[in-house]
Amino acid sequence: MKFRKIAAVITSAAMLASMAACGTGGSSAKNADGKTVITMWHITTDSKRKEYWEGLAKSYEEAHPDVSIELQAIQSEDFDGKLQTALQDPESAPDIFIERGGGKLQDQIAAGQVMDLTDKLDSSVKTSMKSALGGFTVDSKIYGVPYAISPGGIWYSKDLFAQAGIDTLPTTMEELNQTAQKLKDAGITPVALGAKDAWPAAHWWYWFALRECPASVFAETMTSKKFDDPCYLKASNDLKAFADTNPFQEGFLTTSVAQGAASSAGLIANHKAAMELMGSWEVSSVKSLTADGQPLQDLGFFPFPSVSGGKGDTSAMMGGMDGFAVAQWAPSQAVDFLNYIASTDNQKTYYSYFNGIPANADAQGVIDSSTMKDVLSAYKNASSMSLWLDSQFGQNVGNALNTGVVNMLAGKGSPEDIIAGTNQAAAKE
Amino acid sequence: MANGQSSIHFNNDRTRKAVEITLLSAPALILFLGLVIAPVFMAAYYGFFKWKGYGSPTANGQFVGFQNYAIILSDPSFQQAVLHNFIIVVLSLVTQGPLAILFALLINQKFKGRTLIRTLIFVPYVISDVITGTGFSLMFQTQGAINDFLAKIGLGSVEWLSDPKTAIWTLMFVLAWKYIGFAVILMLAGMQSIPEELYEAAKVDGASFWQCQWRITLPLLGPTIRLWAFLSIIGSLQLFDMVYIIWGQYISSTAGTSTMATYMALEGRLAGNYGYGSAVAVVLFLISLVIALTYQHFALNRDLDGALTEAAEQRKAAKKTNKRGVARMATATGTE
Repeated sequence: MKFRKIAAVITSAAMLASMAACGTGGSSAKNADGKTVITMWHITTDSKRKEYWEGLAKSYEEAHPDVSIELQAIQSEDFDGKLQTALQDPESAPDIFIERGGGKLQDQIAAGQVMDLTDKLDSSVKTSMKSALGGFTVDSKIYGVPYAISPGGIWYSKDLFAQAGIDTLPTTMEELNQTAQKLKDAGITPVALGAKDAWPAAHWWYWFALRECPASVFAETMTSKKFDDPCYLKASNDLKAFADTNPFQEGFLTTSVAQGAASSAGLIANHKAAMELMGSWEVSSVKSLTADGQPLQDLGFFPFPSVSGGKGDTSAMMGGMDGFAVAQWAPSQAVDFLNYIASTDNQKTYYSYFNGIPANADAQGVIDSSTMKDVLSAYKNASSMSLWLDSQFGQNVGNALNTGVVNMLAGKGSPEDIIAGTNQAAAKE
Repeated sequence: MANGQSSIHFNNDRTRKAVEITLLSAPALILFLGLVIAPVFMAAYYGFFKWKGYGSPTANGQFVGFQNYAIILSDPSFQQAVLHNFIIVVLSLVTQGPLAILFALLINQKFKGRTLIRTLIFVPYVISDVITGTGFSLMFQTQGAINDFLAKIGLGSVEWLSDPKTAIWTLMFVLAWKYIGFAVILMLAGMQSIPEELYEAAKVDGASFWQCQWRITLPLLGPTIRLWAFLSIIGSLQLFDMVYIIWGQYISSTAGTSTMATYMALEGRLAGNYGYGSAVAVVLFLISLVIALTYQHFALNRDLDGALTEAAEQRKAAKKTNKRGVARMATATGTE
């Protein structure tokens, strides 16, 4: 009896102790072999493309035997929430993680979670990435290294355009409306829209705002988040007028952007709709949804058209940027690995895996598809390159903007409500 | 040796029992306190801050007192979400309850293939929410299977998911399809406990089938119905997954199917306003708590009364056995 009691006390004490230990344990920076461990979180879950990061990690480890790189691929939709939680504790946080700039980057900087890379990047990286690094520069300090840029614009099916007898690409909204009408006359849905995810619908508004607003006003709004200038209401009205011509497929509100054949990218891939406004990842989203899994041969690109009376520059571009930031507490080898990723040779191989535009200007020559060349030239000739507005404004105001646009398209809100909604959201921050 | 024995020996039975209870319940208690109670208080704490979720609320956020709560209660989209929740509560009770009782009555009769139907009716409840949601969202698309079918039999198409007037009914249909199996099983179990003699006696007195059900089954099924209604109400108030899967992260408020929980996910997590989102969680918690307690007080209490008095009786009985146990132990130590 005595023995049993003692045993019970000991086991329960051990149990409590092991529970407490969970809180203090965790990984140290060095593993059992004495190697410095660098953890990197990326968002490439596709098994074929993932090999790009795995290859880079392997070749870096071969050149630096004292470093071990642990990669973790996280579904893009889950990434932000996971990262935010992990960053609360340096023990659980990755050393290198995906960064897209804008409001989120600013929040991370304010919380002291990202490393200032200004003096740590290779000078060759700084020169070859000069234009792209701007997206990750806050108060003239560099906080991240981009690996891809994805400018947006309108993607279209050359075959369907030919079928509808369209021989010139629209450069103004009037021409775009005529194009849509011709397509409709030929029995083709003009524009695919995945409004279930909200942002694809909002992109239309972003572009109208970019074309309507003078560059100075637009740039000011990026930091003030105030939409008082009348050009923003004009943008809302432009979108309303365009939506009233019914250019989108039936049931666009519950269409998702890239999940399955019924998604907006699927409609493009299967020639069920002629155009879609999207970032340059459209090429790969469409590719994964074609019947044979091959790239869509007749997929073309043209920049967003100008609007009559618009005060914005007609060559101004908007897009996204994918890059990596380094955690404040990461070992110096993490920065070194980023320099390695950003080098011209590795950026060239990026294109062969992803078909996207590498951020390194010296590597962009590797682009061989004519469509992507069109995108690149529009990007290079642009008077400015803005970040997607939802990334720029941060999730809160960005989400309110996106849902405001969806509400208007669904007939549940007015053009004025879009702007009122962003102000309401700002109060919750 | 004798000394050591006396130090480890508990001086009386009560302390021994207390230690034993503490040790045995500690793991469960720690988990419950750490993963349920503590987060509730932490959410209440975070709810007083404007905080983006980076760093700590005191360093990177701003203390705002009850301002978050003022915004929540005055936000029209939150009010709509609450309204949707209450519509779902009422419609679930009104549609699923009677249907479940009818199904249970049917399955309770003896006929061929009864076991098969019993199993089939429970299958939707076992299927995961994600699969159900994805399946129905594909079928109810404007260009989905159901509209295709309607077109083939010569009927027009319906905006099942995107028209706010229709969408909530679509949701109710999916919820009924999914959860009715559970209600039926509960009702069936309740019917098993009704003594067969009552029906026999009623039959002798010349009662018809429906009279039997109306005067015997329904009244005696009361406790089961009240329990099911309680579970259904709580489930409806906390409804999240089905809406989130069918309507996605953003458009449920546009389609008129947003709930308090989807509002919380959208405005808290997706918008990155963790302070505000925590305040929403507290409001959701309080609303559910008030409704649950009220319901318990007015409807469930009489069912629980029995259970509680039973427990008290058990306690008394347990005391008796304990005394006997002590006596036995005393003799045991004596022989040692």
